[in-house]
Amino acid sequence: MTGSTLGARAPRLTLRRRRQLAGALFALPAVGLVAGLIAVPIGQAIYYSFTQWDGLTSTWIGPSTWTQAFHNPNLWTALENNAWLLLAVPFALGLPLLIAMLLHQRVIGWKIFRSIYFLPTAISWVVLGLVAERFFAYQGTLNSLIHFFGLAHVSTNMLGYESTALSALGITFVFTMIGTNTMLFLTGLATLDTSLEEAARIDGAGRWRIFRHITLPHLSRFIQLAFVMTVIALFSALFSLIFVMTGGGPGYATTTMEFLIYQTGFAQGDFGTAALYGLILFVLTAIVGIVQLRLIGSDE
Amino acid sequence: MAEITFSGVTKVFAGNVTAVDSLDLHVADGEFMVLVGPSGCGKTTALRMLAGLEEISSGTLSIGGQVVNNVLPKDRDVAMVFQNYALYPHMTVAQNMGFALKIRGESKAEVERKVREAATILRLGDYLDRRPRALSGGQRQRVAMGRAIVRSPQAFLMDEPLSNLDAQLRVEMRVEIARIQRLLGVATVYVTHDQIEAMTMGDRVAVMRGGQLQQVAPPQALYDHPANEFVAGFMGSPPMNLLRVRTSPSRGRVGIAVGDQRLDVPAAYGATHDLPRDEDAEVVLGVRPEDIDVVGSDVSGPTLKTRVERREALGAEILVHLSVADSGPASSVAYDEDAVVSRPTTLVARMAPQARVEVGDVLMVRLNEERLHFFDGRAGVTLRRERV
Repeated sequence: MTGSTLGARAPRLTLRRRRQLAGALFALPAVGLVAGLIAVPIGQAIYYSFTQWDGLTSTWIGPSTWTQAFHNPNLWTALENNAWLLLAVPFALGLPLLIAMLLHQRVIGWKIFRSIYFLPTAISWVVLGLVAERFFAYQGTLNSLIHFFGLAHVSTNMLGYESTALSALGITFVFTMIGTNTMLFLTGLATLDTSLEEAARIDGAGRWRIFRHITLPHLSRFIQLAFVMTVIALFSALFSLIFVMTGGGPGYATTTMEFLIYQTGFAQGDFGTAALYGLILFVLTAIVGIVQLRLIGSDE
Repeated sequence: MAEITFSGVTKVFAGNVTAVDSLDLHVADGEFMVLVGPSGCGKTTALRMLAGLEEISSGTLSIGGQVVNNVLPKDRDVAMVFQNYALYPHMTVAQNMGFALKIRGESKAEVERKVREAATILRLGDYLDRRPRALSGGQRQRVAMGRAIVRSPQAFLMDEPLSNLDAQLRVEMRVEIARIQRLLGVATVYVTHDQIEAMTMGDRVAVMRGGQLQQVAPPQALYDHPANEFVAGFMGSPPMNLLRVRTSPSRGRVGIAVGDQRLDVPAAYGATHDLPRDEDAEVVLGVRPEDIDVVGSDVSGPTLKTRVERREALGAEILVHLSVADSGPASSVAYDEDAVVSRPTTLVARMAPQARVEVGDVLMVRLNEERLHFFDGRAGVTLRRERV
């Protein structure tokens, strides 16, 4: 008789195979959940993008939605607006980084400042939008300040003109992101080993070099995370600000992809096209995410 | 290269905590000075003041004759090795070592040459392209050393650089650091709480306690002639036996009472020590574990009758814990905290492993009469006239 030295009964599966099987079984519920929550809605969106759907009944119309959508100038305006808003991202990262660096110096009253900077995070974006709307309004706080400094001739209604409304929205967006990103960077700074900074000081480094060679490399992962979160928020969380501040206008000046989906689906009742726009937004966000993951991966 | 002088250097932290109290210390050019003491004794604070990482509350600190109280760390030309090494995690070994040179504006070729040179001394040549996380503890330690030596600074400052290594590696690195320091001849201030490092590495050792300098001396002198009870108890493992005893002069000779036994102090001590002549004065008698020998009952000299309480075999030697036997009934030796404090009668003796000693044995032991130490019963300072 040949076979296992451990006993007469040889195992039917190798240990490696059994481990793989067990792993797959354990992963199954999570895979099912992810599939149910992500894959199914995406599949549905793809399906509905080939239909005319009013929210209740859908009729298959083939790829005509796709061809029409890409000829719709509003889609391109929305994409352009999204692209322009990306210019806000460096500010939404740079300002919090600066604030976090200052707070980390433990300046007098830093705890109070920390609370003040973090406060907007705890407030609904609808409220922030209302405050911003009052701030930028023709008789709002911004113009009062401009008048106060004797610059009445440059006072403007930022939300009222196509040329400036998007900037006002971008500024508001930066403001809403400051709290979260500042906290993230402060956390990053708190995990920085102080002896590294001390070693650099003894090695002859001044403030700038310490920031450039010690602090910044340490914070890089936190900055990457903040970047992803900020871009995703920019693409998919601006709705409440736009709704309250401009309603997407004037014209389509502040309509982003996200807002266009709402307008197309709920205002115009064209859910088929809205589903298609949803897919485009999903692909754009996914590209940002994947590029970012690649960057993080290549660093390791 | 330069000498370092602390004069009356004091550090008071917020909350009125005095970490270093009027420290006077001179480190000669090329000298290896070890600052040793228990946690919180101020040794690290003293080092950090020298590095410029802590401000000096009062006193003056000079490096190479220049007062550096208000000089920034980067302008002091000192290199420091940190306890956790503080290697820059995103830089390679070569970049870590060359960082200070790069900042100084040295040419790329020059930086590379110096890094290679240091790497050769430290046997790090094969690891120059690795990041710190891909190195073992001992290698990281060597990189930290390398970062210090490439700069050819005026002084090396080392803050417990071996405390994160395992015991065997620590012994190796102890030798290694001492070798490199001798090779380069740069004044070094080395902070440790490990008295073995202090004994083996330093040209001189400064013992600190509670922010105050207790004694500065070459290691052997410190061991042989401790300035006070603290130094006597701190240096040496196991530490010196310190017995709080009372004088009992008789027939013109100083004697002391240990428990209820009388011990004659050799006459020679009268010439070198300020022993109290009066009856019942409190003194502390110190005797090193290796200065206790088992003898027969008929020998002369300072002998004590003891009982073996515990025996610890360490391989190369055994440590024997002895209680000074009372002549009264055994029950009177029962543990009583007050009695232990007022009349401590336990000794630790270091013996050869061949010594046939078992727990419960009653032994007559002789204290090496040339190596007894006496300290003032109240102030704890040595009664020896000639101080080291």
